[in-house]
Amino acid sequence: MKKEKEELFLSEYERRELLQSRIYRVLPVAAILLLLLLWVAVSRGEASKFPSPTAVWERYLKLLDRPIKNLGLFGHIWASLQRVFIALGAAWVIGISFGILIGWNKKANALLGPIFTAFRAVPPLAWVPLVTMWFGIGEFPKVLIVFVGALMPVVVNTQAGIANVQKEYMDIGTIFHANGRQMLLEIAIPSAFDAIFAGIRNSTSAGWMVVLAAEMLGGKSGVGFLIVRGMDSGDYPLCLLSMICIGVVGYLLAIVIQFLERIICPWTAKKSN
Amino acid sequence: MDSEKVKLKLEHISQSYIVNNQVFDAAVDVSMEVRDSEFLVLLGPGRCGKTILLNMIAGLEKPVDGRILLDGEEIKGSDERIGMVFQKRALMPWKTVMQNVEFGPKIKGMAKEPRREIAQKYINLVGLQGFEKSYPDELSGGMKQRVSIARAYANDPEILLMDEPFGALDAQTRYAMEEEVQRIWETEKRTVIFVTNNIEEALYLADRIVLLSNCPAHVKAVYDVKLPRPRNTIDPEFLRLRREISDNTDLAL
Repeated sequence: MKKEKEELFLSEYERRELLQSRIYRVLPVAAILLLLLLWVAVSRGEASKFPSPTAVWERYLKLLDRPIKNLGLFGHIWASLQRVFIALGAAWVIGISFGILIGWNKKANALLGPIFTAFRAVPPLAWVPLVTMWFGIGEFPKVLIVFVGALMPVVVNTQAGIANVQKEYMDIGTIFHANGRQMLLEIAIPSAFDAIFAGIRNSTSAGWMVVLAAEMLGGKSGVGFLIVRGMDSGDYPLCLLSMICIGVVGYLLAIVIQFLERIICPWTAKKSN
Repeated sequence: MDSEKVKLKLEHISQSYIVNNQVFDAAVDVSMEVRDSEFLVLLGPGRCGKTILLNMIAGLEKPVDGRILLDGEEIKGSDERIGMVFQKRALMPWKTVMQNVEFGPKIKGMAKEPRREIAQKYINLVGLQGFEKSYPDELSGGMKQRVSIARAYANDPEILLMDEPFGALDAQTRYAMEEEVQRIWETEKRTVIFVTNNIEEALYLADRIVLLSNCPAHVKAVYDVKLPRPRNTIDPEFLRLRREISDNTDLAL
């Protein structure tokens, strides 16, 4: 009631603004509802080969009750996430350092750049056979493959950010007599934060995709394992349930990264407002 | 104070570039003297020469020919005694106002306490107290240029170069900033070399005006502006000088 009263005092423009902001809040919800409706529609009837929402929901409840390989749904999600986090941590530290090196030092770039570009073209999953031969099918090889997948975007973005610092920023350094180290630490690296964060965002989504694929190739835990399990036993609601979890977790990861960026680079948040 | 003392001297400076396989002369045989603590304006049409001269003084580029002498000694590359306010404000968006202003002292290795004190002094001088923690993107154009001026002053330069600092501002803000710069210059006397293509701005600010020709730039005339400050832009002498300079200025295309 109170809200309606307030609206009486709004100007035409403000009312339109309010309506606009509401539309933007409603649209995503509407899309999800539409998708659910579509899902119900295609999964109707005995002959449908599409697991219905109720089947997926029941599969979810059953999984809470009867874990697979001693892990419930969230246990498997956590198993996948752990691999991603370890691999991402390593990929960020090594990738950002390496990106800064080849972005800043022309000789290092001439030396290592071409090799890196060639390796970049190899999809992370192509490493699976060799990595399996070297390290078996334990935890380490999975983390290693995720690491390879997450490393590339970090290096590429960091390198580009460091190598393309705007000239006017470098001129400030020259005018104020900054030495090479100060140029790098005070100007080049902070000005490349946007690019580095783009790399971190991409590496997170890449890592999350690669871990699932790596898990599908062998293992006893993780969401990727659940999908294979569902496929092998004809348990398609389990597959679909896992896919939904992958989507939701991926979405949440993106939000966490965005939140991190706001904290680490407050100036970018203020710009977008 | 000996106001006739020569602070900076440009001797036969020439600069050219190769553009599309052709030699393009930007400046030809430019010689001038800048006196200690004076407000010198480099006035010229278009975008030719002025900024290039300033960049050479700042050490951002090297002249093809000629020498630049500071206190009688030739300088090569950038010099700590020369500060600059850029045309495009060039504040570092990842630094707050305070961090931008304290940049010079920080680069020199000054400890946090004293450099904050210096920075605060100049933030106050340009009238931005209360905005120390703001980021440049939260400020208006005029405020950004104030930060840029405070940053240049905080490094305690003997010569301050200003490269069309108000070119991007609207007319109102521009007038206000011209007054500001004059006030700051009178509070903290430094040698200022100010580049503009605006005759009125030049006459309002300058002790002396060096009029440059269109491309390639050379010195066309030097005007002593002896009007009392702050200047009245509709004073008959002001208008007479304005007409005289205007008639002598090349058309910029």
